[in-house]
Amino acid sequence: MPYMLLIVEPQGQRRLRSPEEGRAVYEQMLEYTAGLKARGVLLESNSLRAETVRLNMRAGRRSVTDGPFTESKELIGGFFLLDCATREQALTFAAECPAAQWATIEVRELGPCYD
Amino acid sequence: MVSSVAMTAADAHRTIDALWRIESARLIAGLARLVRDVGLAEELAQDALVTALEQWPRSGIPDNPGAWLMATAKHRAIDHLRRERMLARKHEALGHELEMEQQLNGGKLEAGADDEIGDDLLRLMFVACHPLLSTEARTALTLRLLAGLTTGEIARAFLVPEPTIAQRIVRAKRTLSDAHVPFEIPRRSELAGRLSSVLEVIYLVFNEGYSATAGEDWMRPGLCEEALRIGRILAELAPREPEVHGLVALMEIQASRIRARTGANGEPVLLMEQNRALWDRLLIHRGLLALARGEALGETRGPYLLQAAIAACHARSATAADTDWVYITALYDELARLTPSPVVELNRAVAVAMAYGPAAGLELADRLAAQGSLESYHLLPSVRGDLLAKLGRYEEARGEFERAATLTHNTRESRLLLDRAAACRRGRT
Repeated sequence: MPYMLLIVEPQGQRRLRSPEEGRAVYEQMLEYTAGLKARGVLLESNSLRAETVRLNMRAGRRSVTDGPFTESKELIGGFFLLDCATREQALTFAAECPAAQWATIEVRELGPCYD
Repeated sequence: MVSSVAMTAADAHRTIDALWRIESARLIAGLARLVRDVGLAEELAQDALVTALEQWPRSGIPDNPGAWLMATAKHRAIDHLRRERMLARKHEALGHELEMEQQLNGGKLEAGADDEIGDDLLRLMFVACHPLLSTEARTALTLRLLAGLTTGEIARAFLVPEPTIAQRIVRAKRTLSDAHVPFEIPRRSELAGRLSSVLEVIYLVFNEGYSATAGEDWMRPGLCEEALRIGRILAELAPREPEVHGLVALMEIQASRIRARTGANGEPVLLMEQNRALWDRLLIHRGLLALARGEALGETRGPYLLQAAIAACHARSATAADTDWVYITALYDELARLTPSPVVELNRAVAVAMAYGPAAGLELADRLAAQGSLESYHLLPSVRGDLLAKLGRYEEARGEFERAATLTHNTRESRLLLDRAAACRRGRT
C-alpha cells in the first residue's frame, strides 16, 4: 500500500537557517532517503521550493495569485512516497524522518478521493 | 489535538511488529556475519526482539530503534561467542578458539555502516536461496529471513499447514549449518547460477501473490509487495546485474495492473479486457526505468529483461487495440530461443494469434497439445478454447474451457472458465 509522507513545515522556518545549516538539514534528509531506498520501500521523493503560486478556475476565468501567503502558517516542504505493508510501518518510517524533529509529518494513504 | 502522553503497551507492540518487518533482515544479516550461521543469527535477532517487547512498553521507543535492536542483538552474539570460546578452551580446540577470537575482533559493536550491512544482506539472500535447498525451502527461508514474515504468515500465504512450514524452515537451517555453507557472496565463476536462484525465488513469491495457484482468492497482494521490496533492495545491492533490473522491471509493471485485474465481485479480469485507467502509472514509470537500466548494461537480454520488455510493450499501449503484437511475437521468439519451454511456447502461440490470426496461433497450441508436456496445465486448454471460439468452433472450444476449469485449483479462475464454456454453448465467444 502506498503512503505519502508530507513534510509540513512552519512558514518562514527555512529563512532562519544559515546556508550551512540549510545544507546540513538537506544532507540529513538525503541520508534518510538512502535508508528508505536500502529498505526497498521508497517509490519517489523530493523536496519542494518555498516559492509558491496559487491558481483556480472559476466560471472559465483563471485567477493566479503569487505567494508568499502570509495568512498560512504552514508550508508543504517535501514528500516521500512509500510502499508500506501497513499504516504502522508508514508511521514507523515517519518517526525516523529527521524532519519530524523540526516539522510535522502528515501520513496519508493513497486512494480514490471518494468513499 | 495532542494525545501522545503515554504510549500504551499495545502501541509499543504494533510499532515493534512494524519495525521487525522493516529491520529483521538487516539484523539477521549483520549477526550472521558474526556467528557464521543464519539459523543462530535469526535466534539472536529474535532474542533482541523479545527484549524490546519487554522494555519498550515501559521505557518508550528509543530514538533510533533499528540501531537499538542491532546493538542489543550484537551484544547477545558476542556473549554467545564468548561462551563458545570457553567451551572450546575446555575441549582444547585451539584452532576453533583462534577462529572465534578473529570473529570477536572483527565484530564491531556499533550498528554497521549502511554499505557493510548491504553486503551482509546480499550474502543472506545468497545463503537463503542456496542450491542445497529445495525450491520450497528456499522460498520459505527467504520469506522468513528477508521479508520478516512469521511461520504462520508464510503458511497462510501458501495455504500450507503451519507445522509444515515450520519444519521446512528448521530443516533448511539445519542443512545449511551441517554443510557449513559459508556466509559469503559466491565467486565470479558461480555467481550467475547462484544469482539466478535468488531471482527465481523472488519471482516465485511474486507470482504466488499475483495469480494464487489455489484457494478462493485470485491474488494475494501481500506476497507481491514482499517480492517487490526484496527485488528493489537487490537492485540497489547488485546494480551491475542486468537481470536483477529485468526482474524488478517485470514485477513493477505486473504490479501496476493489480487494481485492474479484478472486477467488482473479485472475479479475474484478463489483460486485454482491463481498464487501463486503473493501471498504476508510477509503477509503470518505475518499471520502464528499471528496464532501461538493465538494457543499458548489456548487449544481450536475459529471460527477465525479455519478459519485462514484453510487459513494457503492453504498458506503453494506450488501448488493447494499440498493442504491437508483431514486436511481442519477436520478443517471444527470442525468449523461446534463450529458454525454450512449453510455457513460453504457449505464450508465443497467444502472441502469434494476436499478430497473425487465431488459426496461426492454434497451430502452435495444437502442436503443444500433441507433445503432451502441458497435460495438467490449465492454461493450455484455456488458450485453445479461446482460439477455437474465435474461429467459430464453439463445440470444441466449450470442451477445452471445461477441461481447463477442472485443471485449475483456483476457485475464481475455474468459475471464469465455466462462464466461457457456457457462452460457447450459446454460440458466443
